[in-house]
Amino acid sequence: MNIVVCLKQVPETAEAEVKLASDKKGIEMEGLPLQINEADNYALEQALLLTEEHDGDVTVVTLGPDSSDEVLRMSMAKGAAEAVRLAGPAFDRGDPVAIARALAAAVKDLEYDLVLTGCMSSDDGNTAVGMALAECLDLPHATYVTQMEMGDGEVTVGRELEGGLIEKLKMKMPCVLGIQTGINEPRYASIMGIAKASKREIAMKSASDLGLDEGSVGEEGSRTKLEELAYPPVGEGAEILEGTPAESSGKLAEVLREKGFV
Amino acid sequence: MDEILVLAEHREGELRDITFEMLSKARSLGKDAGKSVTALLLGAGVGDYAEALKSHADEVLVLDHGNLKAFNAAVYQQVLSEVLKSREPSLVMIGHTAFGVDLAPGLAVTLELPFASDCIDLAYEGDDLKATRQIYEGKVNATVSFADAPTVLVTFRPSACPVEDAEASAGKVTELDVAVPEEPAMRQFLEYVEAAVGEVDITKADVVVSIGRGLREEENLPMIEELAEALGGVVACSRPCVDAGWLPKDRQVGSSGKTVKPKLYLAIGISGQFQHLSGMKAADTIVAVNKDPKAPIFSEADYGIVGDLMKVVPALKEKIAELRA
Amino acid sequence: MAVSLKETYELLGCIQCGRCTAGCPVGFRTYLNVRKVVYEGLTETGPRDAKGRPEAWNCTTCSNCTDRCPKGVKPMELLIGLRSAAIEKGKAMPTVRDALESTFKHGNPWGRGRDKRMEWAEDLDVPVADEGEEAPLLYFYGCTPAYETRAQDVAKSLVRVFAAAGVPYKTLGTAESDCGNEIWRLGEQGLFELLVEGNTELFRSHGVETIVTSSPHCMNTFKNEYGDLGIEALHYSQFLKELLDEGKLELPTPVEKTVTYHDPCFLGKHNEIYDEPRDVLNAVPGVTFVEFDRSRERALCCEGGGGRMWVEAVEERGERIAEIRVNDAVALGADYLVTACPFCLLTLEDAVKTSGNEGKIEVVDLSELVAMAL
Ligand SMILES: Cc1cc2nc3c(=O)[nH]c(=O)nc-3n(C[C@H](O)[C@H](O)[C@H](O)COP(=O)(O)OP(=O)(O)OC[C@H]3O[C@@H](n4cnc5c(N)ncnc54)[C@H](O)[C@@H]3O)c2cc1C
Repeated sequence: MNIVVCLKQVPETAEAEVKLASDKKGIEMEGLPLQINEADNYALEQALLLTEEHDGDVTVVTLGPDSSDEVLRMSMAKGAAEAVRLAGPAFDRGDPVAIARALAAAVKDLEYDLVLTGCMSSDDGNTAVGMALAECLDLPHATYVTQMEMGDGEVTVGRELEGGLIEKLKMKMPCVLGIQTGINEPRYASIMGIAKASKREIAMKSASDLGLDEGSVGEEGSRTKLEELAYPPVGEGAEILEGTPAESSGKLAEVLREKGFV
Repeated sequence: MDEILVLAEHREGELRDITFEMLSKARSLGKDAGKSVTALLLGAGVGDYAEALKSHADEVLVLDHGNLKAFNAAVYQQVLSEVLKSREPSLVMIGHTAFGVDLAPGLAVTLELPFASDCIDLAYEGDDLKATRQIYEGKVNATVSFADAPTVLVTFRPSACPVEDAEASAGKVTELDVAVPEEPAMRQFLEYVEAAVGEVDITKADVVVSIGRGLREEENLPMIEELAEALGGVVACSRPCVDAGWLPKDRQVGSSGKTVKPKLYLAIGISGQFQHLSGMKAADTIVAVNKDPKAPIFSEADYGIVGDLMKVVPALKEKIAELRA
Repeated sequence: MAVSLKETYELLGCIQCGRCTAGCPVGFRTYLNVRKVVYEGLTETGPRDAKGRPEAWNCTTCSNCTDRCPKGVKPMELLIGLRSAAIEKGKAMPTVRDALESTFKHGNPWGRGRDKRMEWAEDLDVPVADEGEEAPLLYFYGCTPAYETRAQDVAKSLVRVFAAAGVPYKTLGTAESDCGNEIWRLGEQGLFELLVEGNTELFRSHGVETIVTSSPHCMNTFKNEYGDLGIEALHYSQFLKELLDEGKLELPTPVEKTVTYHDPCFLGKHNEIYDEPRDVLNAVPGVTFVEFDRSRERALCCEGGGGRMWVEAVEERGERIAEIRVNDAVALGADYLVTACPFCLLTLEDAVKTSGNEGKIEVVDLSELVAMAL
């Protein structure tokens, strides 16, 4: 069984101070460590586990800047056989549909029984590329997948809905699945492994390599456009209890007492 | 007249809140931009819901068909395509829910609709729709514009808009006549499986002490348990803590976990992304402890401490013990 | 086919006397049986990585086994090698994986951003060498004192002591990265080499001549594992001893306490630094020093080394050694259990709580004790 995994590199922002770039179209990337998108890491692991069990190869595909080679190398260190990167200015600033269209052009020529993606990325948060990709490839799809059970030419998946309810579906393969975090325990990529992988080739694909009209991908191929970024307006927000940990928690303890919790 | 079409979402016999939230947003948008609001109700045995919907919309379109019993993106997409092609609404709203994210992107691709997902706000500037979405884990807002097109598609974030009161005048109900395909073999619904119930029911507790990834290590849990005990509460958590195996799934608060409405919710080391917020927003008093003064949780909280939880939690435990003594 | 464990770790000398196992601090608390691991390596009958032999993760790399071996076999290296083999296959437990990934990304194993590395120094006047600026005397504060709440007190105390003694030191600010000592012992040799390369270059660019570390672990790796670094690496206890001898550091304030001292493995067993910390301790006026029965070469390991801060120990049983240590210290009548290592500080302090000795004894880092006497 061969599996294609679409994944991307994202800046780590959960704890960092995110600063807008001066043109308000992006953020300052300086100082933000780059990493594989969390859900994509689970998708990759799922593909590796499945191909280890059912024999086959994993091909990882990304669309992104040069720095993204790092996540492809890391994927190869973990066990992916091939890596493809869609590279070139034509792909810049695509919306999720344009990104999916480009990815589809790269994926369609690969051999696969399954296409896995993360269900969401932590940077753009579109939660859309994987399912749009399925449509471009004309394949059945399901997202928020937290369970998979392989059958003969089919896979039973559990999708996690609101409230933790699981929706069980039977899907014919090939299909596209958006993988949700927690489905497995991602492995480690050793530095030695990454160093070895850095000697392996990454197939670089430009829009013309993929037979794509440049106007159909990237900003030009997008039907939405990012106008401007801003910091979220600060609402009323919390009353901040100031001071050293002892002082602030003393104040909080008082508040809790007033409200009858202590 | 130009219309805004809202896809009603329901599950297991109930209309979901997101439906009314979207209708409320659509109505205020429609008022400003001179557009009518239509609710689209697809399903099997859902005729009754039209009643609840019609005081929130100018028109309710109903398609009640056995093949629509299970939510199946493949079937729904086909039906929706037909409806959109014939009605050409200027805006289509689908919930940014497990249901919506499975359905909307494919629809955008087939119908070549300008599409923005997970919108938290929408506004017309003249004829042009502008959407606001959050990126970088809630730390940045992005304004998005759409290409000129007869129909624009968005998915709208749950809990992003309050539900307005129903209108006095009720809209009309129209039965739709659209062919509904059978559930395709390539994707078949099997069943719903309820989340397992554990020994502690966090939805019943008055005090919930909730931890997030900021706790860093499972080893740090005891101090949280002690704090919860001192407050007579239970320990809950954000999703990453469940993914990491620190706590069982039944302790997860948020959209894919439990919704809690305790008297006191203490969010410790939780950034406050919307999937988490939607599960605890309704708590009476929310207290947040976080190192990052810009963490989104602070805009939802009543009280906040900006600091290292490893210092604040022990100090708080001590202060509570002092007050008790 | 890879070279056998037997050849790689020169196990052939082993006579199966069992001294390694007898001296292993975790041997009686977990089913890690060093002699057996060596035997199975020798006969090629055992698992070739720590995935198949999870107890290899229990090793604290205290080095007792290697030190005690009459035939010069190095069982500790074998155990680390088994970890490496697992790491190579990506089979690291999640806590270890996260620590390694964080070290690669942020330069520290604690999962914290590099930009937060100097938060401990926020209200203090700590000199930072700008890019390219000379820093002949470098204070390498280390990851744990940078981020770990309790261990921050070590760095804070030391800079106060340095200031009092007028030491012309510099730090590297947020440019400092993990030293690699624990990384190597967790079995991630590739990452270790990367750190060595980066740190060596950084030190050279600042013209560093002497490094003073908060942690014996950092000192150990700089001194013994960085090849021809050409930089003197001192643990702060050695450095403070020099300052005292030269009359640069004065400790006028008495600390009227009974104290005992726990030898950190990486200061004592690994580097035979036993006297300096004791001399510094005894230079504090008012202190009554009592010695543990098991001290110096015979000191017990606190179980915080060898990357164990990030390992979930496999099938432990019985009392933690740190708890034994705390109980012994209480029995000695000590007010303070003093140590000179951030990991020991954390494990011992935790053991005070878990052994029910809260209020009876305090765990104090030597740097703190000295700062009290300023
Ligand atoms: C379909 C879907 C469903 C989801 N459902 C849920 C759900 O039900 N519930 C849920 O919670 N999430 C859910 N998520 C995940 C959600 O998007 C976030 O990833 C998650 O809520 C983040 O959890 P967190 O706040 O604990 O972690 P992070 O976002 O990583 O935040 C950690 C916070 O801890 C703070 N911190 C770190 N160290 C310290 C310290 N020492 N002291 C104080 N503060 C510190 C940091 O500043 C940061 O703000 C879902 C995601 C998807 C895609």
